[in-house]
Amino acid sequence: MVLADSESAVILRLRGPLDLKCQLDRIDEVPMQKAISRTFEALRLQVKSESCVLAVCNSPVLIWPNKSVFEEITPDAPFEDIFQFIQTDDQETSGKKSTKKKNRKGVSTSIINLSLMMEATKPGPASAPILTRTVQKSHLLCATLPMDCAVWSNGSDTIKDGCERLMKALTRQLFEMEKVTLQCMKGTTLRVPEPLHFLLPEPNGLVTVVFPRGEPDKELEAQRRELHGQFELPDNRPFFRRANAYHFPNEPYKDGYLRNPHTVLTHPTLDNGKVYLVQGIYSYHHYMQDRMDDNGWGCAYRSLQTICSWFQQQGYVERGVPSHKEIQQALVEVGDKQASFVGSRQWIGSIEVQAVLNHLLGVTSKIMFVSQGSELASKGRELANHFMTEGTPVMIGGGVLAHTILGVAWSETTGEIRYLILDPHYTGAEDLQVITEKGWCGWKGPDFWDQTAYYNLCLPQRPRVI
Amino acid sequence: MGRSYIVEDDVEGYLSKLCSQLAGPVTGLLIGQSTVQRDFVVMTTRTPQNDESADGGKSVDKEWVSEHARQVSRMLPGGLSVLGVFIISESDAKDTLTTLRQLVFSVENLISSERLWTPADDDVTDCVTLHVNPKTRKTVCRTFDVKDPKSVAKPADWKYQSGVCSSWATVSCCLSVDLMVPLPENMAFTRNMDDCLKEELKVWAQQIERGVCLIDGKKLPEDSELKAGQKKNVRQTISAQLLITPDVQTAADVVQRCGGCVSVRGAIHSRAFLHSNKPKAKLAEKLLKRDIVSTVATRVQMLLEEPQKQNEENKGRKQMEQSCLPRRVFCPVKSTGPLSVCDYQFSDEGLSEMTDRFKEMLDMDAAEEDLDATCEIIAEVIESEATEEEEPAEENEMLDPWRNNYIGVAMATAVALLALAASIMYLSDV
Repeated sequence: MVLADSESAVILRLRGPLDLKCQLDRIDEVPMQKAISRTFEALRLQVKSESCVLAVCNSPVLIWPNKSVFEEITPDAPFEDIFQFIQTDDQETSGKKSTKKKNRKGVSTSIINLSLMMEATKPGPASAPILTRTVQKSHLLCATLPMDCAVWSNGSDTIKDGCERLMKALTRQLFEMEKVTLQCMKGTTLRVPEPLHFLLPEPNGLVTVVFPRGEPDKELEAQRRELHGQFELPDNRPFFRRANAYHFPNEPYKDGYLRNPHTVLTHPTLDNGKVYLVQGIYSYHHYMQDRMDDNGWGCAYRSLQTICSWFQQQGYVERGVPSHKEIQQALVEVGDKQASFVGSRQWIGSIEVQAVLNHLLGVTSKIMFVSQGSELASKGRELANHFMTEGTPVMIGGGVLAHTILGVAWSETTGEIRYLILDPHYTGAEDLQVITEKGWCGWKGPDFWDQTAYYNLCLPQRPRVI
Repeated sequence: MGRSYIVEDDVEGYLSKLCSQLAGPVTGLLIGQSTVQRDFVVMTTRTPQNDESADGGKSVDKEWVSEHARQVSRMLPGGLSVLGVFIISESDAKDTLTTLRQLVFSVENLISSERLWTPADDDVTDCVTLHVNPKTRKTVCRTFDVKDPKSVAKPADWKYQSGVCSSWATVSCCLSVDLMVPLPENMAFTRNMDDCLKEELKVWAQQIERGVCLIDGKKLPEDSELKAGQKKNVRQTISAQLLITPDVQTAADVVQRCGGCVSVRGAIHSRAFLHSNKPKAKLAEKLLKRDIVSTVATRVQMLLEEPQKQNEENKGRKQMEQSCLPRRVFCPVKSTGPLSVCDYQFSDEGLSEMTDRFKEMLDMDAAEEDLDATCEIIAEVIESEATEEEEPAEENEMLDPWRNNYIGVAMATAVALLALAASIMYLSDV
């Protein structure tokens, strides 16, 4: 839970499976708990033993943390030195360590992945094995614990220190896993404890929480409430839903959509102006995606998809982004459209977006109306407030076009205003450079709007839940 | 382009001796190492007499030869395997070749049916046959590809050389084994246990195969050459380590009913030999891992083959039985040279039984003093439910005839106590 404050932040991540195997002679609660606790204690001894090995992924570096044996490196060297040993596939093409990812503040976050292994060999002589047969009606607990520890380190930490912190985190995680396993035990049904990482606002930083696998978010509200209290987080927005789990720099999203393309832009500086942006993560949805040719009519649908992706990725809903058909079906279900609407190429507007958000996601939205586009220039305060309190993307429809507003730059004194627009009319590939350079995601001035047309804006409201 | 076998001089002497001894056909096994780079034959042994055979051993008995090969195969550490079959007979070359072909296929089928490790793409699948005419001493060497049922005989070179394996390297390690497998709820006592255990051994074998192998403390790239055989006649030992990760369990129900469980816990000594012709790290890893899997599988198999004391099913009451897997004992092939063969000793056997078996199976004259029983210690097991005392009387019996092992015995007692204590911790009433 230490936040790196230096230029180069390094995350050390240790992962590996551990066998949780234990014979349960009796399945009454107390004996079962005792047996499970004993097995966890044995695992804690195992990771403290000399057979525990940390292998740096994609490198020949091996560390025996409990007997201070370091292969290929010296214990007092800084952790950054390990990077020179790591082979990644695209090292030839990029020429640089491709595990680094720069965020807007210019602090690059690199990650070193380590694997937890056990050495099966040991000094001899060997005591020949004994075969033991026990015949008794009983139960066997057999599961794999997915150990996953992550600690921040600034690059100049020594390897020895870094490993010590990882091993402490590992033992702590085993304690937490034991607690969660025993808490969630119902008769003979056990849930495997699973660690998830969350990047909390400062000063908390990267935090690891163990949840029972397979337990849906709605059953875990009490645990989340406790965590919010522990980390002094506001209790009206989620931080610990599964969707909020941190995406490590070297784990790209597999669905192919771009996330938060606006983060690479330089934001405008206005006199006495401030920038108010969408909070959290959304995906860029636009024309022609998902093999759906909606060129010319689907822009509002795409904006709605972007908004839905925001609610999913912040953890408010579990359902995926709806397709055009599903959106149309929802409107039929609420009685807004006839059945023939489904499969058609009819446009929708802010009112329909509000209706679908309500019906499919349970999300309410405010509608803002301007009778002519020129009035939008005066809506700086409302939009700034929206992004500050709700932080959701805004759908705007009018004239013949729909867009998504991701933020405003507004000066209270001069009234100057700029709008951060995500344009759903883009028909190309998911190329961040093209999208930002050609302005498909970019800052626009007040003249972007049709000055005489009327506009409706749909401002989705964040549910006050955790 | 046929294969080329480099054969230890002693083999020539042995075959000559057989030629001048017996009338009637003599069969036997050729043992060595066959790699993509080179083929070596380092040992031979004649098929033992079959006292129960119908015609007094005048004709070649395919099943008998194969069974001998299967037993011999269990006695070969990593890197050594049954490469083929020889026949000494005056019969027509063509007929003999047919017989030899049948023999190698039969031998290979039987030996591979017991294997738990998966064959690799770069394994050599050729087996060698040798036909020696006792009168003319002419040798005819052919190979067959046992992966191809339609394969035909291919000519191969057979060259004698001295000191073939004098600078072979030995890779070894001592490895912990810890298996636990549940028994199904309704079961006939022994039969289902055998199957469950064999299934679990397969899973464990895959875990070993996936393990990361370190040679002299380092993870070497596959094709790097080991510094073996650089100096002639210098014995070279390479230490190896194995790092493993457990299988990821995917069963939906984490807690399952069972009718009990079987566990195998302890450690084994594993050993493999590498030819001295620029062997690669990949080869060392492959041969060592195969030896690890074979030695455990062989011993479990041997234990299961022992006659079982049939216990009545005692409904409701817990039955616990412990048996020792036999321990591995090595015997050098020659007084000089790094190679050794091995056998397994049950706790109720003495070293003299081992020397008898080395003679019968491998036609080796070994004395008890030559045997190396220091690599593994037998842990004594107490049949009844847990007590932590070790009777001193047993200790005295153990002292003789294990002449190497006075300290070993004291260690064995201590280790046995620890092993027992560990088993008790796992298996006693919750």
